[in-house]
Amino acid sequence: MNSGRLVSMAWQALGRYKLRSFFMMLGSLVGVTALTLVVSIGSGAKQKMADTVGKLFNASTIMITSGSGMILSGPRGDGARLTLDDIRALESELPAVEAWDPIQVIAPAQVRHRAADSSPRVLGVSERSEHVWARSVVRGEFFDVAAVARSDRVAVIGATVARELFAGEDPVGAELLIGQVPFRVIGLLEPFGTDLHGMDRDNEILVPISTMMRRLLNVDSIRGAKLLVRSPAQLSETARECKRILRERHGLAAGQPDDFTIMTTLEVQGMMAKSERIFSLFVPLAACLAVLAGGVVSAIVMLFSVRERTAEIGLRRALGARARDIASQFLLESAVITCVGGVLGILAGTALAVLLGTRLGLPEFLSFKAVAAGLAISSVTGLGFGVIPARRAAMLVPHEALRR
Amino acid sequence: MIQLQGIGKTYEGKGAPAVRALRGVSVHIERGEFVAIVGSSGSGKSTLMNVLGLLDKPSEGTYLLDGQNVLDLSLDVQARLRNRRIGFVFQSFRLLPRASALDNVELPLLYSDRAAIDGMALSALESVGLADRARHRPAQLSGGQQQRVAIARALVNRPDMLLADEPTGNLDTRSAREIIELFQQIHRDGRTIVLITHDQHIAQHCGRILRMEDGRIVSDRGVERPLDAAAELESSAGRTELQPATEAP
Repeated sequence: MNSGRLVSMAWQALGRYKLRSFFMMLGSLVGVTALTLVVSIGSGAKQKMADTVGKLFNASTIMITSGSGMILSGPRGDGARLTLDDIRALESELPAVEAWDPIQVIAPAQVRHRAADSSPRVLGVSERSEHVWARSVVRGEFFDVAAVARSDRVAVIGATVARELFAGEDPVGAELLIGQVPFRVIGLLEPFGTDLHGMDRDNEILVPISTMMRRLLNVDSIRGAKLLVRSPAQLSETARECKRILRERHGLAAGQPDDFTIMTTLEVQGMMAKSERIFSLFVPLAACLAVLAGGVVSAIVMLFSVRERTAEIGLRRALGARARDIASQFLLESAVITCVGGVLGILAGTALAVLLGTRLGLPEFLSFKAVAAGLAISSVTGLGFGVIPARRAAMLVPHEALRR
Repeated sequence: MIQLQGIGKTYEGKGAPAVRALRGVSVHIERGEFVAIVGSSGSGKSTLMNVLGLLDKPSEGTYLLDGQNVLDLSLDVQARLRNRRIGFVFQSFRLLPRASALDNVELPLLYSDRAAIDGMALSALESVGLADRARHRPAQLSGGQQQRVAIARALVNRPDMLLADEPTGNLDTRSAREIIELFQQIHRDGRTIVLITHDQHIAQHCGRILRMEDGRIVSDRGVERPLDAAAELESSAGRTELQPATEAP
């Protein structure tokens, strides 16, 4: 039998048994959709994590937070004992420290401009923040050392704050109220996007650290600081020294736990590597399971279809079909259908990945590897799972099959 | 053309006693004969047809087709032989329900090694008077029309032998006569036909009647003046009521 006729016959058979074909297709469609979705989202999330961590931690960063807390969500417990003088001491004792920037936070803060109000995070930072956090302004200007020294009521705002409070108006030069304190907007921050916690980092206002400590919070402690070390080689040693000096300054006896947390680029990289291992194990595993489940569904439907079509197989044998003609027919039917299901699955998975990725603020990440794998796996499962029913069908003796 | 010698067939049931469906059947059928095999149900006539059509392997005996021992051939070569030389017509038509008449007729061509098959299926449908029903599905056709589609399918590959197992069993009298008329016409075109029936009247349209009982051929006689189905159709056309088919005693 020539292959052109075989293909057209398989196609016709699929058209004749629409419901059955649909269920078989559903198997590979769901499997490949899941595969494309999981791999695309997984790759997107991985990329996102690398991007965000890259922005927060460059090659040699030491992050110090007060209390035994987390880096971004502030200290836990009541260990608010970290001060600007602590960090200044580190800078003067450790020549490896190239630059530093303190942080104090109000989250969320009540912020108003005329009738509009919003609840962004307000961060107190120094004029060095621009350099230390590598995040500058796109309009207006950042506050300078003099503004910090004078505790000026000036603010640099993120894009989300600008949109919510100023709705199209130019925010630079305008006034806003943080709590009851009026501030003048002097700059618009470079967009950042969401961070790993899904927090919108454009929903932020930066004010001078001195202004925040004196005028907004009336505290003399800071939440933390980011230190840039001159070279990655000095990182571990510098972090150890920081710990020693801080413990000494805080008067902690041996055996007492730290009242601060130090995290370096190295540790973050370690954590990254760990989660990447999980990603690279979990993502393909989940995807394979999905495809396997789809394949099993297709195989079961095909197996039932062979039973249901036994008389047809008998008839075809009687009319001159050889065992391999029958096998090819069933194999081709399942291959055609799983491939069609695979292509539809890729489309559906991609659409879902784009949709979900936009919602989660993931970078647009269409994994061509996933698409290729989806196609390959769906055709392999189609052929693989088609073999068993096809062999079964081909082994039937014509007269036996005809009797059913 | 067909030489069966000492054909026996025993079905070994699992746990059940073995059934001897054929016992030492020997028969010669010449090219161009129109043979009826009659007998009650269980007499072995369908088993004999399966052996003749290479659908089942006998437990013993030899089967020569034009002098060639076909029982020794591989299953694939037998399939090829069926495709080229044997047309089958079944009692229950055995059409693919979801395929059109034309697609059904085309089926044997899919497995043939003919290079050009275009138009063959349609001309086979034409020869049974159903060219205008080519796109209909079996369910949209009457029983008689379905059987004619099945006959077109049996003829499409231009085999020299037609095997029909109770082809009129599911049909009313008139449709049955039309089918027999068609067979007589096919026979006149020079084809060998073996027809299985339990209907004595139908058998009277053939040139030779083999009677089977208990797995053996118990009589083998020629019909001197076979009935003419076309004439019967003509004479019955004027009548308002149709005669029921004469059943075998």
